[in-house]
Amino acid sequence: MNKNRRNFLKGAAITALGATSLSEADATTVVKRPLGTDKHRWAMVVDLGKCIGCQACTVACGMENAVPTGKFRTIVNNYEIEQGGKVHSVVLPRLCNHCEDPPCIPVCPVQATYQRNDGIVVVDNTRCVGCGYCVQACPYDARFINPKTGTADKCTFCVHRVEAGLLPACVETCVGGARIFGDLKDPHSVVSKIIDKQETKGLRPEMKTKPHVYYVGLNSRFQSKVEGTAAIWNAEAIIEGDE
Amino acid sequence: MDGHIVELINVTQANSWLPWAVLYFFLIGLSYAGFFLSMPAFVFGRSQFERIARVSLVVALSCGIAAPIALVSDLHHPDRFYNFYLHFTPGSWMSWGTFFLSTYLVGLVIYAWLVYRPGLAAQAQNQGGIAAAVFKALGGPAMPQAVKFIGLITAIAAVLVVIYTGAEMAIVKTRLLWHGPFMPLLFLTTALAGAGGLALVLSNIYSHAGDNRDIQVGLSRFMLVTLGLTALLTIIWLLSGMAGVLVSGEAVMRLATEYNPLSFWLLWAVLGTIAPLVLIKSRPATAGALAVFGAWIFRWSMFIDGQRIPKTGAGFFPYDIPWGSEGMLSLMGTFALWVLLVMIVTTFLPWRGSASATGKAPH
Repeated sequence: MNKNRRNFLKGAAITALGATSLSEADATTVVKRPLGTDKHRWAMVVDLGKCIGCQACTVACGMENAVPTGKFRTIVNNYEIEQGGKVHSVVLPRLCNHCEDPPCIPVCPVQATYQRNDGIVVVDNTRCVGCGYCVQACPYDARFINPKTGTADKCTFCVHRVEAGLLPACVETCVGGARIFGDLKDPHSVVSKIIDKQETKGLRPEMKTKPHVYYVGLNSRFQSKVEGTAAIWNAEAIIEGDE
Repeated sequence: MDGHIVELINVTQANSWLPWAVLYFFLIGLSYAGFFLSMPAFVFGRSQFERIARVSLVVALSCGIAAPIALVSDLHHPDRFYNFYLHFTPGSWMSWGTFFLSTYLVGLVIYAWLVYRPGLAAQAQNQGGIAAAVFKALGGPAMPQAVKFIGLITAIAAVLVVIYTGAEMAIVKTRLLWHGPFMPLLFLTTALAGAGGLALVLSNIYSHAGDNRDIQVGLSRFMLVTLGLTALLTIIWLLSGMAGVLVSGEAVMRLATEYNPLSFWLLWAVLGTIAPLVLIKSRPATAGALAVFGAWIFRWSMFIDGQRIPKTGAGFFPYDIPWGSEGMLSLMGTFALWVLLVMIVTTFLPWRGSASATGKAPH
């Protein structure tokens, strides 16, 4: 049984024993700035061949982390590309890359954003002043200002779930098993094996951030800034219009 | 078209730096540039520039006091601004900026007080009641050495503000438009031209017909140089993009040709740079107002349009300025505050000077 499956079952057992307080935790609320353990280095592999672009991960993340409407900690971008007279569909789940060299951290003027020993980049939203400098510095458009808290917000790899032995919500809900989460310091973990044996790519390598979200089957034209025709969905404008 | 990509699902990333940030960079730019314009007379004793220095000090003070209000308002959690002082972070330009800005503003206020001391003492004699007591307490004989000393310290802080405001944005690799040397340099040249322009406008408002000719001549020359430099730097920046030398050059080329050509050419290039250059001799006050607009529209393009360029996706994010406190209200409110500050300075403080702070008779 691999580590991920073990973690999942362990977490399920905890849940079954009545750990109901885990529901809808605000994952960016950090008490006493926990640093995690350096025994793990958490990472995610996204196998694009298995992703069907259903956005179940987007919804699960929003529900799990109480992400405000119109904001996203993760989303699956969808593209069409014409090649050889045929139109192909391309899906690309995006989230915080929990980089080895995260450019969001050194710019923070109050040290509210920091990297735990297990590699997860978090925001201490009891200290964050909401200056938005980290939002500017992130090369992946993975951060935003949470209008409810007035602080920087982002994917935390569902750290509150991981610490309870559960998988991140997006991984657990992924229909095709495209999102795989695990410990790079465990050579037997699924993520370690995939990264060892298969060709993986990270997003925006020119930024030299050493991202820890690895993609299998990523077309290099989608690795950096995508150039093409935009059909951008202005979620907030639509929500305001509805109101 | 073979190889063409159409983005079907993505979301607009909202600007996290709001028009408040544009206001801060605009006001602090005008303030430090106004302060620099006051230095030849008050710090270096060149009394022939005193009238320019006095009106420039009004620019520096009014814009300098309004600037931090805009800065704190740009925070999404403004009640935690004290964390900037509690958690100094040497690796962050913004953290350094907190201390540079504070030093500059404290220095500016002390500097202005020292400059106004003789005038305040004179005002105390012409007033009665509480006002006389206040002016008497604050006024006194000219202290040219103290003005020089505080002026030099404030100048160092002002230079550090110039550096941090430029570097803070220029180091952000992923904001292509910001990343490089041209934007900080243009922040400086447009601030200098804008402050000169604003001083010209104010001198026109507060002078009797024709008695500000010396100010007009001096500031017109100054604006000619700074606007010329602005135009030159902009052309080199565009050329660097055409040659593919700088990523920020490529971004500004795309801004001018693809993302927002109307704003770039009509507002920034023509109205904000070329028009004031052309009008500076015939209509100096109009040219001054246009140079102020140029300083504003350059920052607006950098901040608002700069954040509209997606980092990972295609296209150019839409942006409509909101009516509330994150948009029009912030602009109108800050303008009203600035007008109020100018009125306070010009009504209650001896900004024209009754005796020279340089220790020499006013020119």
